Amino acid sequence: MDMVTALVLAFISIVLINNLVFTKFLGICPYLGVSGRIDMAFGMGMAVTFVVTLSGTMTYMIDNWILKELGLEVTRYVCFILVIAGAVQLVEMYLRKFFPSLYESFGIFLPLITTNCAILGLCLFINLWEIDRLLEAVVLSFGAGIGFTMAICIMAGIRENLKLADVPECLKGAPITLITAGLLTLAFMGFAGMIR
Amino acid sequence: MTKKGETKAGLYKETLLAGLWRENPVFRLLLGMCPTLAVTAAVKPAFTMGCCVIFVLFCSNIVVSLMRNLLKPHLRILMFTLTIATFVTIADLYLKAFVPDMSETLGPYVPLIIVNCIIICRAEACASKNGLAVSIIDAVGMGIGFTLTLCLLAGVRELLATGAVCEIAILPLLKEDGWFVPWAAMSMPVGAFITLGLMLGLVNLLSKSKS
Amino acid sequence: MYKIKHFFQQSWLLIVTSFAFGLLIAVANARWSDEIEWNKTEKLNRLSGALLPEARLELYAEVEIELDKGKKREVKLREAVSRAGDRVGWTFEAAGSGFQDKIELVIALDKDLKTIVGYKVLSCNETPGFGDQIKDPYLREQFEDAPIGKFKPVKRGEGDPEKIDSEIVTITGATVSSEAVVNIFNAYVEKVKGKIEELVQKQKEQISDDKEG
Repeated sequence: MDMVTALVLAFISIVLINNLVFTKFLGICPYLGVSGRIDMAFGMGMAVTFVVTLSGTMTYMIDNWILKELGLEVTRYVCFILVIAGAVQLVEMYLRKFFPSLYESFGIFLPLITTNCAILGLCLFINLWEIDRLLEAVVLSFGAGIGFTMAICIMAGIRENLKLADVPECLKGAPITLITAGLLTLAFMGFAGMIR
Repeated sequence: MTKKGETKAGLYKETLLAGLWRENPVFRLLLGMCPTLAVTAAVKPAFTMGCCVIFVLFCSNIVVSLMRNLLKPHLRILMFTLTIATFVTIADLYLKAFVPDMSETLGPYVPLIIVNCIIICRAEACASKNGLAVSIIDAVGMGIGFTLTLCLLAGVRELLATGAVCEIAILPLLKEDGWFVPWAAMSMPVGAFITLGLMLGLVNLLSKSKS
Repeated sequence: MYKIKHFFQQSWLLIVTSFAFGLLIAVANARWSDEIEWNKTEKLNRLSGALLPEARLELYAEVEIELDKGKKREVKLREAVSRAGDRVGWTFEAAGSGFQDKIELVIALDKDLKTIVGYKVLSCNETPGFGDQIKDPYLREQFEDAPIGKFKPVKRGEGDPEKIDSEIVTITGATVSSEAVVNIFNAYVEKVKGKIEELVQKQKEQISDDKEG
């Protein structure tokens, strides 16, 4: 029972309290780039969730069972990025084969998931937080993906409405998005300290 | 490269200046946002970050430019990331060995240089198409442009958050019989997003009034 | 056969560069690993040195401590030795969860294990301007010279921060972070004290055994 509570808490904490976008500034590029339309944002979020779960789990296993055993921690970053690149390739092939329409609409963003900081960032944070159970690492990776999807969808929803707002000429586009994101992080700060 | 200079020297100058203003990675291309927001709570870490990026960009541009004719198209991105990851590891080891304080402050944002879009974008857009000299100059220009932007943003944030820049007091604090009350929010994520947003707005305004 | 040839044609560059890069990383690591190790211990020494000035730290033992809920932690006990070679105190590292993230402290105890010498924050990620006031003297000085035992966090106005006792007056605006520090103390100090006493006793017995033998 303790185990389940710990996992649920880990999940809530990574989705709300330590949300990668709002507190760690990870995954900002797609966050600004794709969050124009809510359906695109959701698709992107799902792709990221899949890749991050896969690569978070795999990097955890590689880090703990191979690199630490062999004392090769220096090559950690190289290994991590290779795993992520591989996972992205896998998703790309899968989508092209089974969901061609989704593949079409992602366009350039799929290969860009490789350089999405949220994914590498999460792998590094799992290592930094010294997570000692595989299951917890899996839950954290999945939660990070959900947190990212949530953040990007909230943003897309706001931006769809923002089109109707009277924004000063020079703030249109990226600047107002950043300011909105700032206000959102302020709202999410309310979750800090919810779990201890 | 947007415009071709008439002479070689002109081309070099053009490339160097492009990174500083016209194609400034942060303000114009909106690349490398994560470190821009994350490490700019104070000037020192921002400057260290900028130096790391210059080093990695410089080395990876050289390597990519040297092997640009040997690259297979479908293995291209893999080669880029491998190169970048190697140099980032070296930069990280160097920081850990000689500037441990900074290494601790920056934490995971040093390895995150690997996925900094600027570097991979320059490798793809410049180094894999141009010769060694242009690639090096492009790396220097882009790197310095990035560092300056980072320091500017960090300067504003640090000044408003603590009343000091580079730990040198500028505004007299209320605590010490001055008038300035530090804006704690500036050193939090909110401050990063809003400052950058307003700065981008300012850059838009400036470039519009120029043209 | 063709497939293998094709494979190498496509990827020879990748393989060659991988080797070159691997070599590069290995050289850099070999060159700098001593400095990296040294930096880690240096920081610890600097912080503990501020707590126990003019003392040298020596690793005494690595023990496993059972915290609440059956969690186990490895704790490195360090013995502070003065220039004359006498024991002047003990230090160890402790960690617990704060408002946002983990808080790591170095805690120093006096040589007789009666009072606390003080603590320093190794790392914390609390809200700047609020939670990170746990680094300030206000909270730190309340622990200095306080008797080892359970501490109790109280709100401002309910206790006297100047008085040396087991009541810790929390910082306004950083209540949760101050309570986290108190909790770390409560979780570790008494258990570490028990362990040290056990080890010292064992050492004494060994010495007397040696003398008899």
